[in-house]
Amino acid sequence: MSPRWRPDFWSGVLVVALAVVAVLMVWPLYNIFSASVIDNRSGALTVANFAQILGRPAYQGALINSLIVGVGGMLGATLLGVPLAMLTTRFVIKGRDLLATLAVLALVSPPFIGAYAWIMMLGSNGWMRALLADIGIELPPIYGMFGILLVFSLKFYPFVFLLTASGLGAISPSVEEAAESLGAGPWRRFFKVTLPLVFPAVSSGALLAFVLSIADFGTPSIVGGKVRLLATTAFDLFTAEMGGNPGLASATSVVLIAVSMAVVVLQRWAVRRRDIAGSLIRRPSPQRLGPIISAAAHFVCYAIVVAGSLPSLVVIYTSFRKTSGPVFHPGFSLDSYARILGEVPHVIVNSFAFSTGAVLLIVILGTLIGYILARRETLAAGALDSVLLVPYIVPGVVMGLAFVVTFNVPPLQITGTAAIIILMLFIRRLPYAVRSSAAILKQIKGSIEEAAISLGARPGRAFLKVTLPLMLPGVIAGALMGFITAINELSSSLILYVGRTMTMPVRIYLSVLDGQFGTASALATILLAATGLAVFVVFRISDRKESVFV
Amino acid sequence: MARVELRHINKRYPGVQALDDIDLDIESGEFFTLLGPSGCGKTTLLRTVAGFNRQDSGEVRVAGERIDGMPAYRRNIGLVFQDYAIFPHMTVGDNVAFGLRNRGRPRQEIAERVARALDLVRLGAHAARLPHQLSGGQQQRVGLARAVVIEPQILLMDEPLSNLDAKLRIELRDDIRDLQRSLGITTIYVTHDQEEALVISDRICVMQGGRVHQVGTPWEVYARPATLFVASFVGAMNVIADLRVGAGGALALGLASRLAPVLAGRDCVTLAIRLEDMTVAGTSEDVPSDALALDGAVDKVTFAGREAFYRVQLDDGPQILAHVHRPERRLLERTGARVRLILPLANVHLFDPALGRRIEAVS
Repeated sequence: MSPRWRPDFWSGVLVVALAVVAVLMVWPLYNIFSASVIDNRSGALTVANFAQILGRPAYQGALINSLIVGVGGMLGATLLGVPLAMLTTRFVIKGRDLLATLAVLALVSPPFIGAYAWIMMLGSNGWMRALLADIGIELPPIYGMFGILLVFSLKFYPFVFLLTASGLGAISPSVEEAAESLGAGPWRRFFKVTLPLVFPAVSSGALLAFVLSIADFGTPSIVGGKVRLLATTAFDLFTAEMGGNPGLASATSVVLIAVSMAVVVLQRWAVRRRDIAGSLIRRPSPQRLGPIISAAAHFVCYAIVVAGSLPSLVVIYTSFRKTSGPVFHPGFSLDSYARILGEVPHVIVNSFAFSTGAVLLIVILGTLIGYILARRETLAAGALDSVLLVPYIVPGVVMGLAFVVTFNVPPLQITGTAAIIILMLFIRRLPYAVRSSAAILKQIKGSIEEAAISLGARPGRAFLKVTLPLMLPGVIAGALMGFITAINELSSSLILYVGRTMTMPVRIYLSVLDGQFGTASALATILLAATGLAVFVVFRISDRKESVFV
Repeated sequence: MARVELRHINKRYPGVQALDDIDLDIESGEFFTLLGPSGCGKTTLLRTVAGFNRQDSGEVRVAGERIDGMPAYRRNIGLVFQDYAIFPHMTVGDNVAFGLRNRGRPRQEIAERVARALDLVRLGAHAARLPHQLSGGQQQRVGLARAVVIEPQILLMDEPLSNLDAKLRIELRDDIRDLQRSLGITTIYVTHDQEEALVISDRICVMQGGRVHQVGTPWEVYARPATLFVASFVGAMNVIADLRVGAGGALALGLASRLAPVLAGRDCVTLAIRLEDMTVAGTSEDVPSDALALDGAVDKVTFAGREAFYRVQLDDGPQILAHVHRPERRLLERTGARVRLILPLANVHLFDPALGRRIEAVS
C-alpha cells in the first residue's frame, strides 16, 4: 500500500468553493475585461475604449475627479481619524466607549443616507444653511466636490480612527519612554517613534477610505451636482436608454479597478517589513490633561463624532415630521411611515429577505472556506485566498455591471430575479466572512482538533463538536456584519433591481432624486434601526467590540 | 500493551529530509523517548505514528498490525500535547469522556471510567470545572487522563512539560512516570530536554537532522555516546576538535602512549571529556599510566552553590571547563593558578572527526 491522496469532506468543500468563485466572480469579471477590449459593433479586438477614456476631456475629467475624491476622502478621514485616535487612547477622555460606539454607527450606516441628510442641512433649501444665513453667515449650497468630500470624510473617518486606536494600543509604553530617556522631546518622539510604529494601521484605514470613496456611487450622484466620476460615468454609460455603450462602460470599470488595485499595491509597498509584532508586557495607560487642554480635547473628539452622527439623527428626525408629499409641515406624525407601508411594503420585505438569504449562504460557505484557508495549505487554497481579495477592490457598480453582462443570457439567465441580487450580495460579502472565520480559527489551536481526532472523532465530527462551538461567537458576529453591509447595499442593487425586487436603499435613492425626503427618511430610519440592532448584538457577543468592524 | 515497530520511515519536506530511514523497535510497556534539538524530526516522527503526518515511505506496526494507512481517528492511540489542547468549552469531565463517547460506550461505563481516570491524576474533585479555572499543570493532567481513559494501545507525548514552570515540570514528570509504570502502557515521549529524557526514560533515541544517532538506556547514552553529536547534546562535554595524531599514534596534547594502538593510522581525532570526569591537580602531580594530563592556567572560576567550575586555558590550545566537587572557599580564589588536569583514559571519548562516530578508546 503506497501513500495516496484521499478525498475527504474538506476536499469536497474546496471544489465547491472554487466552483462558486469561478462562476460568480471570475466569469463575470472576465466578461467585463473582455468587453472593455472589444468593439461594440464589429466584435474586433480594440483599445479604442481606453483611448477614449484617457483622451476625451469628459472621461479624463471623470478619472481626475475620481482621484481627487479618493485622495480627498482619504485625507479628510485621516485628518479626523488620527487625532481622535491619539486623543482617546493617550489621554483621559470621558465617554470613550460612547465615542467608539457612535463612530461604529456612523461607519455602518450607508453613505448615501449621509449624502442626502447633508443636503437637507446644507443644500439649496437646507435648514442649517438658512439658520446660518439668519445670523449672517452665507454658505454656498454643498452640491459638488466639496459636498462629496465632506460626506466621505465624515463617513470614512471611523475606519482610520478604529484601526489607529488599536494600533496605538499595541505600542508598548516602554518604547516611548525609551525614546524620551534618550533625549527625544514629545514632538520628536511622536514623529520618530510613535508614528512609524502606528503607520501600518493608519495607512490601512486610509486605504479603505480611498477605495471606498472612489467606489461609492450613491453619494456623488446625490450630492455631486455636475461632478462626474468614474463610478457614475460607468453607470450612466451602461444604463443610458439610448446608445448605452457596454464597451466604454466596461473600460471605465476596468480603469476604476486598476486605480483601486494600484493604491492597494502602493499601501502594501509602503508598509513592507513594517508588520511590527511587539511583545506587549505593559499596556499604555491614558494620561490626565490640564483642565483647559482637556476641555479642548473633549471638544475636538465630540465635534468629530457628533458631526459624523449628525446625518443619522437628521434622518430619524425628518422621518417623524408631518408631511404631505414632498412638502413638510410643522409638527410630528407617522405620515411617512404610513406612506411607505401603503405604497412599498414589498421593498422592506425584500431587503430583509435578500439580506438574510445572502447571509445564510455567506455564513455556511464562508465558515467552511475560512477553515480551509486557515488549516489546509494547498495550492488550491492559496489560489482561493488570492481570488477572494478581488471583491475588496471591485466597486459595487462594476460588479453589478459584470453580473448583468454575464447573467442576462443563457446558460444562467437570472436577471430580474431575486436570485441574482442574493448571489450578488453573497459574492460581494463572502470574502469578509472568510477572513473573519479564518482569523478566529488562527486563534484556536490546531492541536485541539487533533486531540479530538486522536480520541476517535472523524474529521467532520471533530469540526462540529470541538472547532465549530469555539468559532461560533465569531461566526455570529461575522454574520451580523454581513447582514449590515448586505441590507445597506445600494450600487450593485441599483443596477440589478426590477420593480419586484426593489430594496430599501434603491427606494431611498429614487425617493431622494424625486425630492421625497419624508419617505426616504422613514425607510432610512428602518435601515438604521435594523443596523443599530445588529451592531448592538455584535457588541454583546464579541469581546473585541468596535475593532470587529474594520 | 503493544510493541511498536517503525520500519524504514522516510518523510521529505521541500528542501529538508525530515525523517531519514527511521528504523526502531519499541518494546511492550517501554518508556521510550525521542530526544533531539528542535527540527531534528522527533515531533514529525511522533505525528507519523499518531497519524497526523503521512510518511513518504515506510511502515508503522503496533502489536504486529500495520496502522500507517489508517486515519488518525481509527488508530487507538493516546496523545498528549505540548499546549494541552484541552477543549475549552467542555468541562473537565466532558473532556475526559470525549474519546469514550466517540467509541459509543454506555453512559454508566463512561461515568465510571472518567471518574477513575480523574482520580488517577488526582483531579477527581474537578470534574465539573471548566478548563480555564485550572492551572497549567492541572490542565496537562486532564490531557493525560483524557489520553489514557480510552485505554490506548500506545501513549504518545509531545513535549508535555515544556509549557510548565520548573517546579511543576519536575512534579508532573514524576507523575507521568508513575502513571506509565502502573498502567504498563507503551509510551513514546518527545522532548528536547536531555535531563528530562535521562530521568524519565527506559530507553532514549537521540535524533538529529532526521536521523537516529543512538538508541540506548540513559546510562549508555550518557556514558557511551555513539557519536560526537550525542556526546555534546546529552550532558555537558568538553570537546577538543581535530587533534593531530603524531607518528605512532601520539596525541598532540598530553601523554598518550596507551591510546597509540587505537589511533594508529589516523591523522586526526576529536577528544571529548565530561566536566566531572577529570580531576584538577597541581602541576607537580604524577600522571598515572592510564590517564592523560593537560597543563594550563585557571582562567575563570564560577561558583554555583553545591558545585563550581574552572575554566582552564590549556598551554597549547583550547579552553576546558572542569567541574569541582564540593568547592571550598580557598578553591574559589585560584584565578591565574597553574593546574594539571588529569583525564583517566576510561573517561575519555574519542570520535572520528570526519564521521563523528565513536572510537572505542580502551577495550
